[in-house]
Amino acid sequence: MSSPDRRAMLRLVPQTAETYVPSQWFCGHCGSPPPNNETPAPPARVCGDCGLGLLLEARADAAPRPNDPFLIVDGSLHVCALSGESEKLLAVAETDVINRPVTELLTPADAEAAGAESLAAAIMWAARGEDEPSRVMVRPANVFGVRMPLRVGACGPPRAALLVLE
Amino acid sequence: MRYLKTSEAAALLNVSPNTLRAWERRFGFPRPQRSPGRHRLYTHGEIAALRDALLDGLSISSAVSRAREGLGADTNALVGALNAFDSSRADAALEGALALRSLDRAVQEVLLTALDEVARRHGTDSVQWAFSARWGNSWLRRAQRLVSPSIQSVSVVLGDASRDDLDPDAAYIRSLELLLARSGATVLGLSVRGVSNMSEALAAHRPDAVVIAGGALADDAVARWAYAVRLATGPLPVAVFRRGSQRQRVRTTGAAILPSTPGEAARHLMEMASHAVSNPSTTRTSTTPRLLADGA
Repeated sequence: MSSPDRRAMLRLVPQTAETYVPSQWFCGHCGSPPPNNETPAPPARVCGDCGLGLLLEARADAAPRPNDPFLIVDGSLHVCALSGESEKLLAVAETDVINRPVTELLTPADAEAAGAESLAAAIMWAARGEDEPSRVMVRPANVFGVRMPLRVGACGPPRAALLVLE
Repeated sequence: MRYLKTSEAAALLNVSPNTLRAWERRFGFPRPQRSPGRHRLYTHGEIAALRDALLDGLSISSAVSRAREGLGADTNALVGALNAFDSSRADAALEGALALRSLDRAVQEVLLTALDEVARRHGTDSVQWAFSARWGNSWLRRAQRLVSPSIQSVSVVLGDASRDDLDPDAAYIRSLELLLARSGATVLGLSVRGVSNMSEALAAHRPDAVVIAGGALADDAVARWAYAVRLATGPLPVAVFRRGSQRQRVRTTGAAILPSTPGEAARHLMEMASHAVSNPSTTRTSTTPRLLADGA
């Protein structure tokens, strides 16, 4: 005789397969997608619209829209690309800030956050490939009294963090 | 040295020729030379370096930065060889630079930059500078001997007012001579210390323009030399190259002041001399030797 509490039963377990999240290609300078949203061939990643950026891939919910201000930052927190709109918003030229630390442009601006390292941590996780976009509050490094929400996601290739100023 | 036309370079990078020209405007790279017909000519090494950098780059800017760093390695290699007093390694470093650039650019971007760096690091009274300046001037003289004979009917007489090979301007003056010769001019380089029998030298040479280069010798010596040239040839267009702090005063003499980089200076001078050849009556300056003596 088997007791009722020993009876075999089905348990509900979390799904192990990753949920599919669509990705999107965009130009690292103007934010425009490639024609027909096609995946570009590796040697043909230069944007056909502006000719001043390389096409990069990101999750659709992290990718910028055309003319959004955004930055691309590598895992060592150095600026690798600056969009045309960011150049206007932050009043800097891309050629002047390439390979400079991102903290020369943006500073954490959330007094209620757990710590000022949240910006750096978010960038590092994104540059390592953390898929889920995160949000932090920042301000331009040389301006006080301005707060901007920043969306941090992963992009590539090669792997890097995508920072979209919302 | 392999050169690419704009369309070939654009095809190698998989972009349009317009994009390549936009990069040149925005990033200053790749920086083409000009053919005699003023068409852009890219060095294959520069385009290949950019193509490789683009393959695993995140932006055009960062790719350009990486490609530039790769090309800058030649200068560092040359500075290292000069600091180690190793002339064969220095020769090899410059040969390596020549694989990626034209001679004109290798001289300006690698050789002169490396010499400037040695002078900045150790000073012009150091043994490192003595070795480097001697090697650099000797290399430039060797290169000038290999230049094919002049094809244009332009002739320039260059008055060298540098102190000696250890003068920091000396390598720039040798470079100007070399680049003028490569542009097709016949160059007669004379020290401004030698004045007597000037007419014999200039009768054989018949110059179309005069350059006074270097700032080490005093105005008096330069003025005597310029006066001797004028007596021998009559009035000619006069230009001044790297005459240091006296530039302001030279402006009053009517003498043209050449840019301090040899490539630009050679281009200006060739235009000046060619203009003098085609319009002999209008371009010959009325600058008197007295005025030049006041300024130069």
